[in-house]
Amino acid sequence: MKKILLSAVAAVALCSSAFADTVKVGVVGPFSGPFAIQGKNFKAGIDAYMALNGSKVGDDDIEIIYRDLPQADPAQSKALAQELVVKEGVQYLAGFYFTPDAMAVTPLLEQANVPLVIMNAATSAIVTKSPYVVRTSFTLWQTSAPMAKVAKERGVKKVITVVSDYGPGVDSEAAFTTTFKAEGGEIVDSIRMPLSTNDFSPIMQRVKDSGADAVFAFLPSGPTTLGFVKSYNDNGLKGAGIQLLAPGDLTQESDLPALGDSALGMLTTFHYAISHDSPENKTFVEAARKAIGNPAELSFPSVGAYDGMHVIYKMIEATGGEQNAQKAVDAVKGMAWESPRGPVSIDGETRHITQNIYLREVAKADDGTYYNKEIATFEKQGDPGLAAAK
Amino acid sequence: MAIQRAIAAEGKVDAGPNWLLRDLMGLAAVLAVAGIGYLLFPNNLALLTRITAIALLVLSLDLVTGYCGIATLGHAALFGSGAYAAGIAAVHFDITDPFAMAAVGAVGGAAAGLLAGAIMLRGRGLAQLVLSIAIVYLFHETANKASNWTGGSDGLAGISPDPVFGIFGFDLWGRTAYVFGIAILAVVFVLLRLLVRSPFGMLCRGIREDPVRVSAMGASVNGTLLRMYAISGAVAGLGGALNAISTQVVGLDSLSFTTSAEALVMLVVGGTGSLFGALVGTLTFMWFEDFVSAINPFHWLTIIGALLIAVVLFAPNGLYGTATQLLHRVWNKR
Amino acid sequence: MQTVFSVGTDALAYGMVLFVISIGLSVTMGLMRVVNLAHGAFAMIGGYIASYATQILGLGYGVAILLAVVGTILIAIPIERFLFRRIYGAPELTQVLMTIGLTFCVIGIANYVFGPTLKTIPLPETLRGPVDLGFRSIAAHKLFAIACGIVVAGALWVLIDKTSFGVKLRASVDNAAMAASLGVRTKIVYAVSSAVAVGLAAFGGIVGAELLPIEPYYALRYMVTFLVVVSVGGAGSIPGALVACLVLGAIDTTGRYLVPEYGEFFFYLAVIAIVCVFPNGILGRRS
Repeated sequence: MKKILLSAVAAVALCSSAFADTVKVGVVGPFSGPFAIQGKNFKAGIDAYMALNGSKVGDDDIEIIYRDLPQADPAQSKALAQELVVKEGVQYLAGFYFTPDAMAVTPLLEQANVPLVIMNAATSAIVTKSPYVVRTSFTLWQTSAPMAKVAKERGVKKVITVVSDYGPGVDSEAAFTTTFKAEGGEIVDSIRMPLSTNDFSPIMQRVKDSGADAVFAFLPSGPTTLGFVKSYNDNGLKGAGIQLLAPGDLTQESDLPALGDSALGMLTTFHYAISHDSPENKTFVEAARKAIGNPAELSFPSVGAYDGMHVIYKMIEATGGEQNAQKAVDAVKGMAWESPRGPVSIDGETRHITQNIYLREVAKADDGTYYNKEIATFEKQGDPGLAAAK
Repeated sequence: MAIQRAIAAEGKVDAGPNWLLRDLMGLAAVLAVAGIGYLLFPNNLALLTRITAIALLVLSLDLVTGYCGIATLGHAALFGSGAYAAGIAAVHFDITDPFAMAAVGAVGGAAAGLLAGAIMLRGRGLAQLVLSIAIVYLFHETANKASNWTGGSDGLAGISPDPVFGIFGFDLWGRTAYVFGIAILAVVFVLLRLLVRSPFGMLCRGIREDPVRVSAMGASVNGTLLRMYAISGAVAGLGGALNAISTQVVGLDSLSFTTSAEALVMLVVGGTGSLFGALVGTLTFMWFEDFVSAINPFHWLTIIGALLIAVVLFAPNGLYGTATQLLHRVWNKR
Repeated sequence: MQTVFSVGTDALAYGMVLFVISIGLSVTMGLMRVVNLAHGAFAMIGGYIASYATQILGLGYGVAILLAVVGTILIAIPIERFLFRRIYGAPELTQVLMTIGLTFCVIGIANYVFGPTLKTIPLPETLRGPVDLGFRSIAAHKLFAIACGIVVAGALWVLIDKTSFGVKLRASVDNAAMAASLGVRTKIVYAVSSAVAVGLAAFGGIVGAELLPIEPYYALRYMVTFLVVVSVGGAGSIPGALVACLVLGAIDTTGRYLVPEYGEFFFYLAVIAIVCVFPNGILGRRS
């Protein structure tokens, strides 16, 4: 509270913040409301990074200013971004869970001379809207397309796709369908269901009737996935041997305790599992669990935020704390490092993150908890969505 | 009852010869607050612009809820229609003059108002409330489905309005958008003040008090309400268009139940049945929300909830309604 | 034919779950004339208590339900005493404001205390997994929900239509002053029926938790569904609510089976059609 007041008082005009002793980073995310857990993960990732790497780059102190945007609301997103840039004098904008919110901010960047580091929003096109956008999360194309290859390898011939009827769902469906057809597979039916669906039994009936060997599904992580996976079990699809395939949003770690046994054996492809076996990840998970408080709440947006901070630190280092968006973005193009999720790099052209995508299976650990067990790796995946859009 | 009395009192004063003075004072108050906002928060103009756009939505909601007694939880359907109309005009038809976009928004909102009104008037009371919810969900789903036109859930991006009069561009600091918005709000406010005092406005209030009696007098209840709905739609549509122009993105949230419910909450906080109440409610609620959510982005919702409960307990007629009541009481004691 | 049966079973189960969760709201809205948007908040409180009782305290499912219903009623007593009593008879919009404010508070507190993750209420062994009905398999907990729906509907019908308390309640609702002057202690009648409504909300929250999982935003997420179901049925009418839940459940389920892409359209168009035909709700009393 005091900090915010002080910074408000100290807020000076935009251009005079160059060479400032404190570099401010404005983070916009869903910190309350239905997606509060994802915002909490943003903060955990950022806190973990700063706990491990200090809150200073060179001589400059880094200060994070959080702003809450509970649901997709571009008008409010723009108002918050403008306030952060003009009033708080932030040199970097980061966070953003929903695509429209990020889209609303892109037109401001050039005039504000501020880079935007996207820690989640997963529609391919965002990076094309401004040269100052860098993304450290993933796109639905990136995480869904490898699943089609998995399906093919496992001898699945006929697939039915079931996705939530909104942007990411449609992206996911397109990515899977395009790739699976290219691999010579057959899509027997494509179902898009409203986001508000609570009872999935009729959908499962459709799946059953379609005669598919497997169902590819996408729903936003959170309460609905629980109903979906349970329904898949209760309606006897699991028993009938119809394999459930999905991007990792469906089995995010914070939902796994609730999903329990019903998710066992589910196959997902994703860019990050908390169980990933590497020293970098061990350090990260330890710090992030400490930051979030309740270890069960840790989930994938935290790693996007962690790597986002890594990119921002690099930008600050390259510019010496001076406000220069072009220089900052140029400094991270082509940058490669070992992230908790594995080796990653920022594509010099698209400014999107190139990373490994892992095939995981939900498994039960010795202590009775559930986790995503990585069983195969697709190395150095770019974003096929950008190519598909062209 | 108390609200009715308060309005009756206001009505009496309105009927007096000094109504022009009161209107001018009201306009002056709006412009003064707008000016103070500009001077005190020059770095927060995007928020102030957003408040202005939502104020138009709440004003338009007041026209049907406060003046006609139609409770609705779906008024964002009108607001969003205006926003999408303006946005689609800019993106798909190259109509990028801000005034033209605002006009398109108003027309879009009015058309949506006619459609929504025609459905809404089939029900009464609780049923009407449910109809309004159904309407806003249908609008929302339609926009989601027509993603070729609306961008679906990714939002309609790429709206770039021309500078106002070819001089004042819409920039980072948002000065143009703010002044543009306040100008629209001021004009709308004056027109609405005239409207609610006109015989037509009086007829609407009469319908709220007793529709049977009004129809016995030979006036068409549904015809009048439908016209009011269209006017309300135009006002909400202007708000939506302002949102589209200043944000340059239109999202599905502008057609959502949440936005509708928030607008209703703001109206009741300020006080129904008075244009000032609508403005006071919007300003108070949105400013308070911005303030507490900046202090604690994680747990501010509880405080908002407490504010709403406090308003019901201590200002049952809304902030403006209760304040004027108190003033009247003090005045009469003298 | 088998598909028709199958979808029909789903529809029945979904309708019954809706009924169990929203019937408490029908009591508050119809009998006590309060537009109670906080209904979901009470259901959620019940769910949290049950989840806590089973997961942390390790109690059985039945005990947890009992504890949750009683606990939620205890929590609701001061709320009724200090907040709701101020809005009995107030204009609808004032009630909306108060109850939505209450909902915000409950969401905020739940998020603060329990965190934003999903909370589950583990089912007893007998209610887990699918049950074979011959032509298809159905989740056992859905059969349980159907049974609960029938029991609740029957019990409420007896309570309101057949007991002296029911007579007093209906009298107080129709004309509180007259009922009071005839010796009905209306305050007690109101307190008891509000406790019943809250208890039903908590019960529904637990029974429906498999379909509508417990998390902080629960209170707002499903508010619209509850409100729509109750209003379409005609507030205060138990058979009305039952019919509405079954009809809407059937429409929703069939719509989602036949044209999932347009499921939402289907549902809300049906709502509009029903309301246009029955402006007071399917079995609502003329007000």
